Amino acid sequence: MTLSEGNLKMDIPDVLSGGKFDGADHGLTHHMKAVDFVVELADRYLYIEVKDPEHPRAAVQARNAFIEKLHSGRLDQDLKYKYRDSFLYEWAAGRADKPVHYLVLIALDALDDAQLANRTHALEQQLPLRGPQGPDRRPWVRPIVRFCGVFNIASWNRNFPEHPVRRVATSAREG
Amino acid sequence: MALTRVELEQFTAFTSLKLDPCRGINVLIGANGTGKTHLMKVCYAACDVSRSPADDFARKLVGVFMPSGLSLGRLVRQQAGADGEATIRVRRGALKLEASFGSRRKPVSLNPSTFTDDDPDREMEEWASKPVECAYVPVKEMLSNGPGFRSLYSKREVHFEEVYSDILDRAYLPTLRGPMDSPREQLAAKLQTEIGGEVAVENEEFFLRGEGKNIEFSLLSEGVRKLALLWLLIRNGAMPPGSVLFWDEPETNLNPKLFGVLMEVFLELQRNGVQVFLATHDYVVLKELDLRARETDQVAFHALYREDETGEIACATSNSYRDVHPNAIADTFTDLYDREIARSLEAVE
Repeated sequence: MTLSEGNLKMDIPDVLSGGKFDGADHGLTHHMKAVDFVVELADRYLYIEVKDPEHPRAAVQARNAFIEKLHSGRLDQDLKYKYRDSFLYEWAAGRADKPVHYLVLIALDALDDAQLANRTHALEQQLPLRGPQGPDRRPWVRPIVRFCGVFNIASWNRNFPEHPVRRVATSAREG
Repeated sequence: MALTRVELEQFTAFTSLKLDPCRGINVLIGANGTGKTHLMKVCYAACDVSRSPADDFARKLVGVFMPSGLSLGRLVRQQAGADGEATIRVRRGALKLEASFGSRRKPVSLNPSTFTDDDPDREMEEWASKPVECAYVPVKEMLSNGPGFRSLYSKREVHFEEVYSDILDRAYLPTLRGPMDSPREQLAAKLQTEIGGEVAVENEEFFLRGEGKNIEFSLLSEGVRKLALLWLLIRNGAMPPGSVLFWDEPETNLNPKLFGVLMEVFLELQRNGVQVFLATHDYVVLKELDLRARETDQVAFHALYREDETGEIACATSNSYRDVHPNAIADTFTDLYDREIARSLEAVE
């Protein structure tokens, strides 16, 4: 399956179901936030959120607004609520039956690996990866999220060569 | 006048290296053993002799490098079973300072007045005709060792590289007469806010004074002492326009939160016509510089690395941090990030 967001294309093989999540089929986007894509693989769900501030048509103002959001921590909040609501929606639909990997792609070359590592850490702080810890606490039977990470295009392709992402040329009509 | 070119042949770790510094901030990065400090010391020695006509480049090199037995020949790149000859060329525009010496070159005296060069030349006179103020801040902080150190250093053969006594000499310079010019005043004020007072000298001992406090330097954190040294150099006029500042690993003993202030001061000095050389291993230093530099600022990143095939040290220069390649610091973060992602995914599988 090829997922498209703007002029970013992501090839994910062996998809059992899913695709665009925050489109018209969602039906509740006025109530709940939603990640861009939810796809089901044999052993997991991938929740994918794409941010593309370097889209050729993105206005400078929008790009700067995104960077401000990124630095202020509001992006982490946004990513948290998108994940929670999407998980809840899928749970209610009876589809939260496999581990979920939450992958955030920020197509911004200027984010280097040191910053991506920090962004991943910040996201991990927002999402309860392991449930309550400690001897007196009842552990969760299953975690809400099994893995989360923040990537740019280069680090995505390095870490997930099996489902690469690429930027396709903007067509004349689009441009 | 700023340094415009440095060429080193068969000198210490270098086989052949050419560096064209920019007039602003020159950042030297590279793994340990790629010669960042050596490069800065050569440049510093060249600048320093321009302001001391009685001194000599070869003697100054020995003073700042302290080779065993004060033997200049030991600064020639060592090759098994072969005698070599090192050449150093440093240029400031049309002015050139050149030195060549063989590996059998005899030891030199560290006392400038007794040194006689084998082949004195007019180049040196021309070089010294346009003296350049300079300061070299070594990795180890020295101000807290100030009292007595200079007199000890001048009377006894203590095995300390000359950069340590030199920086103390600069720090002890009295404050310039008259009001400071506005850029310097602003810089000093910025640093003063960070260190929480002014620096005072009493019987060669440094104190931080402010808000009713009077604290000797030995009781201050090393990071604060470093910023205080910069405050002194700015206040006493050691860094006028046209001067050159060398700072080896500014990140040492300093909390990363203060790197931004330090980089802002370096950028401001650069805007006021000071050429700056920094050697660093630190990502935050580089990133602060990258994020704070304006388009009109002159910043060059010089990546020193060993070539795969020959193992010889080479230099790649770029004007933007994002274009620095090879970048040993960024590579380390990439490695950490990828391993972290891999570990998280493995824990899941």
